[in-house]
Amino acid sequence: MFLKHIDLTTALRPSYLPDEVLLFVQDNVGLYEGKFKLPNQQNGQVYLTSHRICYVDKDEPRKYSAALNLKEVDRYEFYAGFLKSSAKITIVPKPLKRSTLHNRVVSNTGVNSRGSTPSPAPSDNAYTPPSGPPSMTAATWVCTICSFSNPVPSNFDPTTANAHTPLPPCLACGIKPTLSQVLKAAISTASNRPAATPNASQSGLSSQEVSSPITPQSSDLLTFDTRVGSGQGKPDASVSFHCPRCTFSNHPSLLSCEMCGAPLLSQNIPSSISSSEYIRTQSPGPVKDSNSKTSQGGTDFAESVKISFRGGGEKIFYERLKSAMTQRKWLLQDAPPAPKSNRGMDDSSASGSPSTPVQKTKTAGIAGLEQLGLNMRKNNEILIGSAFEDLEALMASAKEVVALAERFAQQVNGASGDVTSKDNSILAESAHQLGLITTKDIVGGGSSESLYFSELARNLAEFLTDDSRGVLKRAGGILTLVELWAMFNRARGGVELVSPMDFEKAAQMWEGLKLPVRLRKFRSGVMVVQARDRTDDATIKSILAWLQDLHEFPPDRDVAWDWREFGRGVTAQEAAERFGWSLGVAEEELLMAEEHGALCREEGLEGLKFWKNYIGSTDPALLQKREAQEQADALIQRLKETGLIG
Amino acid sequence: MATTTTSPPPQPQSSSSSPSFPFPREYFFPAFFTRQTNITIHHAQLTKWSALILAYARHHRLFRITISAAAESDLFFNRGIDRRLSPPDIREVLDFMRKDGRAEFLRPDGAADAASAAAAAAGGDVVFLYWRKPEEWAALVEAFVEETAQKGSVLTVYELTEGENTRGTEFHGMDNQVLMKALNILVKRGKAQIFGSEDSLGVKFF
Repeated sequence: MFLKHIDLTTALRPSYLPDEVLLFVQDNVGLYEGKFKLPNQQNGQVYLTSHRICYVDKDEPRKYSAALNLKEVDRYEFYAGFLKSSAKITIVPKPLKRSTLHNRVVSNTGVNSRGSTPSPAPSDNAYTPPSGPPSMTAATWVCTICSFSNPVPSNFDPTTANAHTPLPPCLACGIKPTLSQVLKAAISTASNRPAATPNASQSGLSSQEVSSPITPQSSDLLTFDTRVGSGQGKPDASVSFHCPRCTFSNHPSLLSCEMCGAPLLSQNIPSSISSSEYIRTQSPGPVKDSNSKTSQGGTDFAESVKISFRGGGEKIFYERLKSAMTQRKWLLQDAPPAPKSNRGMDDSSASGSPSTPVQKTKTAGIAGLEQLGLNMRKNNEILIGSAFEDLEALMASAKEVVALAERFAQQVNGASGDVTSKDNSILAESAHQLGLITTKDIVGGGSSESLYFSELARNLAEFLTDDSRGVLKRAGGILTLVELWAMFNRARGGVELVSPMDFEKAAQMWEGLKLPVRLRKFRSGVMVVQARDRTDDATIKSILAWLQDLHEFPPDRDVAWDWREFGRGVTAQEAAERFGWSLGVAEEELLMAEEHGALCREEGLEGLKFWKNYIGSTDPALLQKREAQEQADALIQRLKETGLIG
Repeated sequence: MATTTTSPPPQPQSSSSSPSFPFPREYFFPAFFTRQTNITIHHAQLTKWSALILAYARHHRLFRITISAAAESDLFFNRGIDRRLSPPDIREVLDFMRKDGRAEFLRPDGAADAASAAAAAAGGDVVFLYWRKPEEWAALVEAFVEETAQKGSVLTVYELTEGENTRGTEFHGMDNQVLMKALNILVKRGKAQIFGSEDSLGVKFF
């Protein structure tokens, strides 16, 4: 399926893949498939990320949200809109078999994308240097400037390519290749396949297709598989494993080539992938059901998907989509991290590739540790050195540099021994992982600011409810807005800070967006943030339960009153300690409980204490009863006095 | 009950010889002695305090209290738990009772029988506690006169409060000023007539 069901976070935003970066958000969009509106996906937000286009439905987000992977996009067209028809962007998927597409999705989202990418290359391409790393495309072209082997883009079709086909620049040096170069590489890969198939020109770029066991040209693959299987069954060193890049015969249990470091295939993975792929195909999202039927009916082309921008924003979306398609961030994930490691080897032959420094720690003891540290420093040096050589390289290694910078920051903080700064760095780190980057320019400018606020609100909700961080949990389930504001901005690492006004506005939107957190205003005007399920009643209940417990346990010192009957008074301090609240929050909560009539106060030398309300409320029925009692008493007394009784 | 013989200046300084007053549960609750800010609780607190004061006064047959002195009495000062109601709070409770018709501040000039009793609001230190309202007292006196067939005859005020005949009635040993208020009500209704001078007042019932 072109459109796939997606998982949402607690804040009803798409959960991002690793390395995925949010580029643009626009609300008030609808989806079309072909010419027809998708009935349940007519009002929602579209998220453009570096990897995907996600649609999140407004009314039934968990049910009808969908995404399509940019890597499956063949082309995209812009329609500016005419009269009542709103602007649309049509996205046409690649004319590939569905199974192939799925295979890719799985392999990309897998933990080890390098190892899991199936490719027949080792068996038949062993003697062809250009078809090097088994990334998603088997074909590679060698940069003439830096001699780095780049993958040929997956959507590059030699039959249709012309001078206007966009070509990605070299991943290492950023120089664009000539068309003929890439064309040659693609064709050589295709022609190197021994079993020429009728659709070779089309499938030449997709190695996965070859790997899938149902395709006809896999006879050669089957032999490969059996050979590999035997090699696995009895770990025989004689069954060597040819490196796809340098043809060195490796030991079958190695994961990367001993000679050139190119990733080798682990043999059992293709089968597991294909099985998972079938599972995927059989469990599509609710919307896609009808889709799958039509595509099973024979049409090889999936229907194109149209995104209708009813609230504007289509131009920016188109621009960003264009740049995302040119950048092809999803390739980076699959590409071997070679540029850095290769350079490292060139520059300093002493240290190995930075990705595997652990292998170097053969020496034990302090010397080993020192060696390890030395290697690491050297790697860092190389990394930084190479990263700043030119801009493209910096972009390519941005991830590592950021990680390095964060590690340095952590070390600095660790040295000062400050607990809060350590907390902050952890926060910052996790914030980075989350992709906390809703900024004003990401959000569609066509609609008002409200989209920015709603995105910020969702962002905040995610930040709060993220389990790994436990921001709310650590604060006892309640946090003042100011504290949250400070924490959130600190987590953003000092850039793209949110102004207090915006922050408050965003927080006020939680209620409307049905997010799992809510903003509460205390009587004193203090605003706090807490989980939706923590109502006042729940808080009062827990406070009362606590006070009830104090009836059971004797106070730590003698008290004059009957503690079995009344328990004892508690201060805000005690409540803060008991529930993990901050002092201000504890005070507000106690006052809130008092206002509800559950607690009463006692002001004394020891400060303000709160008791369970034994004074009670004025109950009219009770008053009447008391009056009746008084009259009865008076009557009895009078009778006594007159000597009639007693 | 009603064994106090030297009542006229009934200062609640010392708990009287009568059996100890059964204080309510709230009296032993420390927070009861702090003014509550929650309106509902505060109202309940005032109501309970007012009930406690009246019950206490009835028990000890107190007709008037001096606030400064009463603040030290065990009515407002629970020595057991070392909690006391502060004088401003006492005043607030008494004011609450005044609105309810259960207390009245004595006017500083001593003109207690002023008709505009409510106007004599805060300020005074001495407060009358009406565990029976003057109307009720008036009804009691009237009933007594009726019962003892003394209509048309003249009784002195002293006779009413200290006389042998009234022994056993509730208004025996009553505070003079409170009694005067009650008698004035009867006068207004045309049921009695007061004459005589300050020291020897006489009342004629019709």
